[in-house]
Amino acid sequence: MTKKLSTNILDKLSIDYLRNQVLKNAYGNLDTVIAKRDPRVLLIWYLFFGLVPWFVDDLYFLMACFVLVLVTTYLAKITALVLFVFAIGVFSQSGYLFIVSLFFGGDVNTLIPLLILTLKVSTCSLASITVFSGLDPDRLANGLMWFNFPERLSFSISYAYRMLPLLMSEFQNVLLSFRMRGKAPSSEGFKGKVQYLIYQVKMIMQSFYPLMLNVAKRSRTTVEALEIRGYRNAATSKEVRKLKLADLQFTYDDALFIALSILWITAILLIKR
Amino acid sequence: MENTQTQANQSQKLMIFVLSMALYGLATLFTELIPSFQVGIVELSVEFFLFIPLTLAMLFDPLSAALGAATGEVVFSEIMLGQFGGLGELEKFLTVTIGVYVAGRMVKDPRNMKQVAVAAITGTALQLAMGMIVDICKVEFAIEEFEAVAGLPESVYFTEGFAFLNDLLFSGILFCLLPTMFLVPRLYGKIEPLLGMEPRTEKTYLGDINFKTVIVLIVGFALALVSQMAAESGMTLIEWEFAWAESFESIIFGIFAAAVLAVVALLVLRRKQNKVSE
Amino acid sequence: MNIIEAENLSYRYPASDKAILDGLTLTIEKGDFLAIVGNNGCGKSTFCKTLNGLIPHFITGEFKGSVKINGHDTKTMTVSELAHMVGYVYQDFDNQIVRPTVLDDASYACLNYAYSDYLSRGKEALKLCGLQNKEKDYVFELSGGQTHLLALAGALALNPEVLILDEPIAQLDPGHADLIYGILKELNEVHGKTIIVIEHHSEYIAEYCHHVVLLKDGKCAFKLPTKEALNHVEELKEANIFVPQVTRVAYALKSRGYNWDRQLPISRDEGLEYFKGMDFWPNEKPASFKRGEVIVDFDHVILGYRTMSKKRHVVFKDLNLKIYEGDRLAIIGSNGAGKTSLLKMLVGLSKPLSGSLKIMGKDTSAYKPQDFAEYVSLVMQNPEQMFIADSIASDIAFAMKARNISDYEEKTAELLEAFELTALQNRDGRLLSGGQMRRASLAIGVALNPEILLLDEPTANLDMATRKEIMDTLSRMQDIIKTAVIATHDMQLVAEWANRIVVLHDGEVIADGDRDSIFADQRVIEEIGIRPPAVFDLAKELKADNRIYTVEEFVKQARV
Repeated sequence: MTKKLSTNILDKLSIDYLRNQVLKNAYGNLDTVIAKRDPRVLLIWYLFFGLVPWFVDDLYFLMACFVLVLVTTYLAKITALVLFVFAIGVFSQSGYLFIVSLFFGGDVNTLIPLLILTLKVSTCSLASITVFSGLDPDRLANGLMWFNFPERLSFSISYAYRMLPLLMSEFQNVLLSFRMRGKAPSSEGFKGKVQYLIYQVKMIMQSFYPLMLNVAKRSRTTVEALEIRGYRNAATSKEVRKLKLADLQFTYDDALFIALSILWITAILLIKR
Repeated sequence: MENTQTQANQSQKLMIFVLSMALYGLATLFTELIPSFQVGIVELSVEFFLFIPLTLAMLFDPLSAALGAATGEVVFSEIMLGQFGGLGELEKFLTVTIGVYVAGRMVKDPRNMKQVAVAAITGTALQLAMGMIVDICKVEFAIEEFEAVAGLPESVYFTEGFAFLNDLLFSGILFCLLPTMFLVPRLYGKIEPLLGMEPRTEKTYLGDINFKTVIVLIVGFALALVSQMAAESGMTLIEWEFAWAESFESIIFGIFAAAVLAVVALLVLRRKQNKVSE
Repeated sequence: MNIIEAENLSYRYPASDKAILDGLTLTIEKGDFLAIVGNNGCGKSTFCKTLNGLIPHFITGEFKGSVKINGHDTKTMTVSELAHMVGYVYQDFDNQIVRPTVLDDASYACLNYAYSDYLSRGKEALKLCGLQNKEKDYVFELSGGQTHLLALAGALALNPEVLILDEPIAQLDPGHADLIYGILKELNEVHGKTIIVIEHHSEYIAEYCHHVVLLKDGKCAFKLPTKEALNHVEELKEANIFVPQVTRVAYALKSRGYNWDRQLPISRDEGLEYFKGMDFWPNEKPASFKRGEVIVDFDHVILGYRTMSKKRHVVFKDLNLKIYEGDRLAIIGSNGAGKTSLLKMLVGLSKPLSGSLKIMGKDTSAYKPQDFAEYVSLVMQNPEQMFIADSIASDIAFAMKARNISDYEEKTAELLEAFELTALQNRDGRLLSGGQMRRASLAIGVALNPEILLLDEPTANLDMATRKEIMDTLSRMQDIIKTAVIATHDMQLVAEWANRIVVLHDGEVIADGDRDSIFADQRVIEEIGIRPPAVFDLAKELKADNRIYTVEEFVKQARV
């Protein structure tokens, strides 16, 4: 495990890769069927497929939902990184419980409810991936705004994407200094691996000292600029809200998307009968 | 100048919000990618980088730092990576906010290491404990025959309890307490001028946590719990259990038929529209 | 008509016991193109922030006196009203861009102030800044110069009458700097905007500005027409502003009686007229230097990386370059020519896809960055990036401590002394002045006593006085470090410091020689758009075989 860890954190995972994947995921696939949907439609769609499966135990229904979100995830052309994180999430939420329950006298019967749990978790996760990764962040932010989510959240979403490349390069530079000037212990043998891991973790923790100061400088300019550029004016203005939401359009294709989703689920339920 | 004063305070709060959001968001983006901190049977659910908002909350306005961090996590690790978990995220949002806020409020003088240490560990413990309670409830709701499955309730209680203690004593100390104690004294007096503020002293400190704050915090946590329950009870009301009553079946069929009609109609309309636009 | 009237303006930041503006009185006419100059901390940026109302509406503190824009007192107006009159571009303009795409950001302010035609206003602003074909681009795809133009467009979108730019070209190469000033000139002349720049590049002031304001101790020391202002050589020097080279030459010769009754020239053309008929002593022979052993050997190196769209971008197709002991090597070339990639390879941050890189005769393919650190050390362009500890003393000691060097404390003390940092040793690097920061970053760079020191743009973003200070430090460092490589756009630095110049173009070495051969090579100069020091051109224009690179050499060689 330690070996996996130490190779995982820094050596294999390049920050460039991470940044590119996240940005590509956000902006790289704007012409997919999912990205073109009205964000309001997708959010309502998510409200169903992201929540309802959690409370239903019917296997047919769950399978139907699962297959549907699988298709939408495929249509949204999600990047490898996001799918990888999805896999981790599913395992850590339900996979390990099964092993634990075996220790307490569980048997194969324990397996079925846990499989159902896994199915639920996967369905909800894929639904959220479809909506939150499939949509262009600005459209998502506008959609959320339409549902009266706090303005601060919509702002944070688009600003985060603007900020990410800056933050990453800032972090990269700090790590770079650590790597050039520090000296990592040799990672030979088990003891070496542990030491190497501790060193890496310590380095990441320490890197937040310069990072905090550097980002503090930046955020001061940002907030001043936001003030000049009318951010606070916009936060309370109804007109601005209207302007921002003006390009949300409900099309036939959006209606079709909803209708097909309903058609599929009800069809499966009828077949079961 | 009264008005100017409050405007300036707002700007400072926004700066802290942005700072906390950016830093903690970036950090959680990384932790989302670290799978292996699942040691054998126990999932370490500690927020490895909680020291970031803890530090900021002790140096600056605690609420802005807490809200910024929680928002950062939602935006960077949940939305950017598509791992948004619906209501579950509301719970995390609130527990992180409460934990960080309480820790920030506890520190009168950031130069006092004892205060910093106590506040850091209390904030972490609070966040973990709330997370544990909500987690247990979550599994109970999700698996219908929770009590009936042999060994499952015990295993859940055990795992969660063990994880809590382990998180607090091992990761809590290692990742929250120590880094906070490392950072707070180093940043104190250096980071504030960069934001055009004065360092926190006993004078500028917000005051002890009073009764009202506690009530608000409890309500916040209750909201986190209720967010799960409310949905559950709402579902049972409309019989989502699929009793397969005759009427229910016909409703499903009705919806199915309507959906078929809608799809056909929409396809026709769409084709028409495309022709027009051509 | 006056567009700006500041009267007896005083301001003190909160948590500071000294007033930064102290009774400043100044009027600026509509349509002026004005440069504000002055020392660090003389209140230039603070003054500009009183113009757009950030002070006193957004930043608290003690505010006295008055500022009027177009006759309106800023105290009675809101920041949003003022935003329509005064546009502001920060020095760290990167942080004022808050939206992910170009058009979005340019129209952001108009959207926030609820203009229904916000998109066309944004487009209009982008057009003025020459970004009209970038509307749909993402901000992270833009170059540094384009990002600056976008920040300018964002400020222009509200169509303000006054435009303020804080050190607009500090982070740009000369090509982009010309572009920015060209656009400002057009905004001023064609669109009638009043432009205010905080600037210390006197060559640009001389070429573009109509008036110069010198601030000193929070007061206005003078406001004069540019030519007259730049004749106040000594007064400006005290404020860390070095007048253009041609002016400096004329000033130095004046003390020898040359043209003692004439106003000093401030541009090349004026200089040609002023020095007409001047005779020169022949060039001095360039100092010969002995070339030492090969330290670094790039042998048929190919380097490439994947871009976001998964295309392979090749930086070096076939790089062959040897660096010898004793080289003071300057690597020049336009942006994207491969300068940074070359430095990165030398510290092990990127590895050749094929070919070999040998350092001190040893193949480095299995090295990690920390192994390179024993031989090579990099001083980054932005010194703040080098500060990872909480004081410069511990930053200098960091690498030695990590390598268990026994007497690291003594060595740190020596370095602090050598770089005149002893008094500052417990301060955090980020909180120092620009020059102190640079010195600290150099001290960190030489801490491990490397065979080669690499410097990425060591003079970028510095005012002239600090620049000189760093140049002096660099020449003193020659006792400590034998071999050094500098990647830079700063031809003055190249001409004064380097004994060898390598020109990169599209990942290939297109020229390699000393300054006489490089600067005389018209093909190279044109192809990569380098600009030799102003004094070099002037001297060559006056006498074709002149090879003069510095003000001092010019003064020495002039037969007066």
